[in-house]
Amino acid sequence: MGPLSREAWAQRLGAFRASPSAFMAGADGEDLGRDLLSDLRSEKLSEQTKVSLLALSLEYPAQLWPDVPAAEAAATSLLDTMVLLPPRPSALRRPLLLAATTVLASGGVLGPTSGASCRLLPLLLGLASGRDVGRGFGPISEQRPLQATACECLRELESCKPGLLGGILGLLRSLLGQEGPIQPLSLLLALALRNTLVVQPRSGASLQGLLMAGVSSTGSGPWDWTLAEKGHSHLQPQAPCWPAAEEGACALAVLEPSPEEVRELRAAVAQLLDTSYLLTPVAQAQLLWLLGWALRGLQGQTPALFKPQLVRLLGTAQLTLLHAVLALKAAFGEALFTAQDEALLLRRLTLAAQHPALPLPTHLFYLHCLLSFPENCPLGPEGEEAAPLLLGPQLCRGLMPSLLHDPMVLLSRLHLLCLLCAEDEEEEKGQVQNPQWYLEELLAGLQQRAALDGGPRVLATLCFQASYLVASCLARQPMILTPLIQGLTQLYRARPVLAPHFVDLLDRVGPELEEPLRVVLQQEVVSRPGRDEALRWHLQMLAKVAERDAQSATLSFLQAAAAHCANWGLQQTLLRVCRVLLRGGGGPGLADLLQVLARQLEDPDGRDHARLYYILLAHLAGPKLGVALGPSLAAPALTSSLVAENQSFAAALIVQEAPAPIRLSVGPQKATGPLLVLQLQVEALEPVYSLELRFRVEGQLYAPLEAVHVPCLCPGRPAHPLFLPLQPRRPAPAQLEVRALYTTPTGITCHAHLPPLPVNFADLFLPFPQPPEGAQPGFFEGLWDSCLPKGAESRVWCPLGPQGLEALVSRHLEPFVMVAQPPTSYHIAIRLPPNSMLLLRLQAAQVDDGVPVALRTNDWAVLPLAGDYLRGLSVTE
Amino acid sequence: MAQRAVWLIRHEPGTPLCGTVRFSRRYPTVENRAKVFNGASYVPIPEDGPFLKALLFELRLLDDDKDFMECRDSCTHINKTSIYGLSIGNEELWPVVAFLKNGMVYASVPLVEQTLSPRPSLISISGISQGLELLFGIQDFLYSSQKNDTELNTKLSQLPNLLLQACPFGTLLDTNLQNSVDNNNFASVSQPQKQPAWKAGTYKGKPQVSISITEKVKSMQYDKQDIADTWQVVGAVTCKCDLEGIMPNVTISLSLPTNGSPLQDILVHPCVTSLDSAILTSSSIDGVDDSAFSGPYKFPFSPPLESFSLCYYTSQVPVPPILGFYQMKEEEVQLKIKVNLKLHESVKNNFEFCEAHIPFYNRGPITQLEYKVSFGQLEVFREKSLLIWIIGQKFPKSMEISLSGTVTFGAKSHDKQPFDQICIGDTAYVKLHFSILDYTLTGCYADQHSVQVFASGKPKISARKLYRFKQT
Repeated sequence: MGPLSREAWAQRLGAFRASPSAFMAGADGEDLGRDLLSDLRSEKLSEQTKVSLLALSLEYPAQLWPDVPAAEAAATSLLDTMVLLPPRPSALRRPLLLAATTVLASGGVLGPTSGASCRLLPLLLGLASGRDVGRGFGPISEQRPLQATACECLRELESCKPGLLGGILGLLRSLLGQEGPIQPLSLLLALALRNTLVVQPRSGASLQGLLMAGVSSTGSGPWDWTLAEKGHSHLQPQAPCWPAAEEGACALAVLEPSPEEVRELRAAVAQLLDTSYLLTPVAQAQLLWLLGWALRGLQGQTPALFKPQLVRLLGTAQLTLLHAVLALKAAFGEALFTAQDEALLLRRLTLAAQHPALPLPTHLFYLHCLLSFPENCPLGPEGEEAAPLLLGPQLCRGLMPSLLHDPMVLLSRLHLLCLLCAEDEEEEKGQVQNPQWYLEELLAGLQQRAALDGGPRVLATLCFQASYLVASCLARQPMILTPLIQGLTQLYRARPVLAPHFVDLLDRVGPELEEPLRVVLQQEVVSRPGRDEALRWHLQMLAKVAERDAQSATLSFLQAAAAHCANWGLQQTLLRVCRVLLRGGGGPGLADLLQVLARQLEDPDGRDHARLYYILLAHLAGPKLGVALGPSLAAPALTSSLVAENQSFAAALIVQEAPAPIRLSVGPQKATGPLLVLQLQVEALEPVYSLELRFRVEGQLYAPLEAVHVPCLCPGRPAHPLFLPLQPRRPAPAQLEVRALYTTPTGITCHAHLPPLPVNFADLFLPFPQPPEGAQPGFFEGLWDSCLPKGAESRVWCPLGPQGLEALVSRHLEPFVMVAQPPTSYHIAIRLPPNSMLLLRLQAAQVDDGVPVALRTNDWAVLPLAGDYLRGLSVTE
Repeated sequence: MAQRAVWLIRHEPGTPLCGTVRFSRRYPTVENRAKVFNGASYVPIPEDGPFLKALLFELRLLDDDKDFMECRDSCTHINKTSIYGLSIGNEELWPVVAFLKNGMVYASVPLVEQTLSPRPSLISISGISQGLELLFGIQDFLYSSQKNDTELNTKLSQLPNLLLQACPFGTLLDTNLQNSVDNNNFASVSQPQKQPAWKAGTYKGKPQVSISITEKVKSMQYDKQDIADTWQVVGAVTCKCDLEGIMPNVTISLSLPTNGSPLQDILVHPCVTSLDSAILTSSSIDGVDDSAFSGPYKFPFSPPLESFSLCYYTSQVPVPPILGFYQMKEEEVQLKIKVNLKLHESVKNNFEFCEAHIPFYNRGPITQLEYKVSFGQLEVFREKSLLIWIIGQKFPKSMEISLSGTVTFGAKSHDKQPFDQICIGDTAYVKLHFSILDYTLTGCYADQHSVQVFASGKPKISARKLYRFKQT
């Protein structure tokens, strides 16, 4: 495609600027960057058009050349374009330099491996030092103005890659001493100096060497990337975040320079400060921020160097200069500003915050500075807005808010006034012009204005913002809150349409204002039944302020209001009030009202609603009602509000599936009898109430199990064991299925499946009743004989652990021993409900690693279980 | 210190978007730094469309304040500075410096060189004052000597090029945008001595220093027991120094006659090299007593090329120059008004113009008027519900004049008649506008002989005084 015409480009650039993302997504987007670079060399386009193309690459390089290779190629192309320019004056050189710098710095290309970087940096340095860089860069006369531009480009590169210029500090300093352009060189040196001081401790380079480095360094040789590479990824604030507040975060390494280094550094800083009056005010401010930051990290460096500048700076109200002075104040505190200096600065600031010759945004900023003033000896907590100690009522006299002020000025000054009132609390009262009196008058005026019928919303908003400010600063001063509450009540009487503002205020303020205001507003609403528009606001208001224990006045107001609620919206607002009352558990009279509404309301949705509320009121206990009607978690639906509400009821009233809130395990069994009881250990993972545990066994092995109830369980508190009676139909081990049903602390009922509980064979053992002393052998032999012929007999080899037979018996079979001749012979009788038994004879053998066991049972089905059990004993030992 | 982006937005109430972006400029290298500094709290600069919408909403410049909207109208949404947070998508872009002036919204987003959460204090961000200053600079450029929309458009079209000079990488080099262009043109002249960055070149020609003092008085007279009347003089001294040499030194002294009211709250131009501590501390906070410093006020400075405001001051004169009395009585449909004005004898009775504006707010158009003036003529603007009493060049010998009349109003129609938040019911005011040439209320003057110039050639020095007055 050939070069586009001027008009085509204008159109294309316009389309791009309208929405870069949409343009780049379009068909034309991909080629834009390429076309732009190639058309810069076209001879058909005017310089003016080319400048507009370069302007685009200055603003949107990331969109035009989105990745590193593309950015590198673009920067190279821009540099080539510059070399190809004919050697006559051209308006393109400056924007080309700026564009190449922008593309390199913003594309993340800048570095020793980038060819374009290695071409651009020496070129910029050559231009900045005023050397002849060749005819390609135009006549010498044009290279002079390019000198300043080159300095700006270097400064931007240094900002993006701190330490880049660390190797040429000496050169920069000597240029400044010669006849280079003062402002760009001063700012460049100050930035490089500061970055070097920050990066230097990490690199180990010597400050003196840097300052004294000869002019020849980096003249034509390769660029020194050492500092920049060491400092990379440590992008440092140029104008630091408020120095005092940032001690830890910025963590400047503490330098301990040698006396010579200190001397050189002081000389360089003094040189910069001495000529700073030659800089524009904004550049002077930048210089002060940079040098203040640079010197702050140096221990033992007296900031007295700044002193000669201060008197000159304090006389002006130039925003950036005074701001920079405040930054120095914050950085050096008492070391630079004595108490008298601090008082003077505060005085100038107070003066500037109200001077009629300054514009509004400046006043506002200075007011902010007053409330965040970096005091030498701050009393209050860090970071909180407060009136400085030296700023007495006398000094603030001119900063009183008035109704004639712009809203922002009014709020800002009001804040100051509130802070003064808060301090003034203990001091003498009763003067006519004291701050409290003034505050009261102002609030009254604001309320009067907000009450203006048809007035813009901004007036109402202002009144409520002021009320909020006063309530939050002076919450403990009834002298101020009482008239405020009265005034607000009057305002509501005059303009119920402001109800949303009142609701918002009640939501935000502390209880000191909220409680009393709520009470008077409720009285106000119920004593003034309205119709139509006002009714809507009254109901909205009542939904916020109604007492939970439905007062009769509220109920009769609602009853009267129902007759006027003709449309769906009003009915819904009415029902919302009922809902609020319901949440508090209702009260006498509410049920009647709901029944009336369920009959009377015109809209079926409203009637259904009222009926639903009535049913809920009749059927749910108070706390449950509160939960059911609590804030809905479901997203508001657009259809009937009944549907939306049902979702929240569903959440509150339906039993919900939940993950197990407890851990259940079978505890050690105490086989005592006569009934089989399983002992369960329970551990709560979260608080649960009214826990009911339900058990079920597969295959009807046992009779149905009773549920177990626990009133309350809390994590971390020891719980009593639970006892679960078992009635086996056959003596067989089983898995118990467990479900838990419980209530959460928020009142929601949940159920959870717990992991199945195993009932082992041994858990089913019960002892026989102990026969009288001496009769045991006979009793055992009787049982032994009774087993056959119906039952079964077997012999099992039971392996023994190192403890021997005696230990095995005492550990597992102690309760069932009938006849014992320790340590060699034991007769054991085990009852297995419902009516089986297991009899064992253990007789120690010659060999130590086992014992032969003779066993009999009246139930042959028990035999394999018994065998497994005996063989397993030594394993569990 | 740098700005991430700058916008100019024309506020156009009544149109669908309520405004259009007339100019925008982004700084990608600064944006890269923002990404690193802000870390997880970084919010990118939006495209012009979403920015326009979010900003106008936040500044309450959309035409939709009918309903309460929590994110805008909540009582906790308190803005006490011209710095805003804009919600764009689900994120909040902060800080946005913005203000509305003459129907144009000026906005910029300064770089914050740290994380944004927790939010740092505004005072700790150097880019805030730099941003405001940049916007003031643009405003000065757009509205200096601009008369109409065509001129505004021309100036807007020059802006991209000017910012390329004055703020090439988002860091402001000079607030005076015009200056930075001149600078580039002039700088080709090689100078042996250091050339200040705020001075585009050197003057060649006849040396001349002109000084002009303009005083304005802001006065409010309530004629009530519990509210004190106020009057304050605000003065501005403007200089234009056409002197040869790179840094000529000039000292101008302002003097007061005996018993003149001291100058207070003095703010000087940054080119002033030193200030007496008495000038630095003289403040209206302290009130006036005999011990107050009363001059001469010396201002040594090295002037820039262009005309500049050497200093601003305020002063507390003992009496207001004109005492006013305004009475308004509502009688059924009619309004009876009475205005008396009395010129103080010490004031020069020779006006460039003098007129009293009597507006009626929150009422309908004037349908009927009967009046009597003891002096001057009355002009009636029925639709605007406004009376202008043209007093002319001189008060009569008695120094007292009066107006009385009866006004009847028609039905109120909201869009035509002016609305006011303060002038409700019988709250109303009369506003006086006048100007006296070659006179200052404080008596402050710059004696031509006291001006010292350390430069080659003997300059011609001219001093001029102008007194403007606005009284309510």
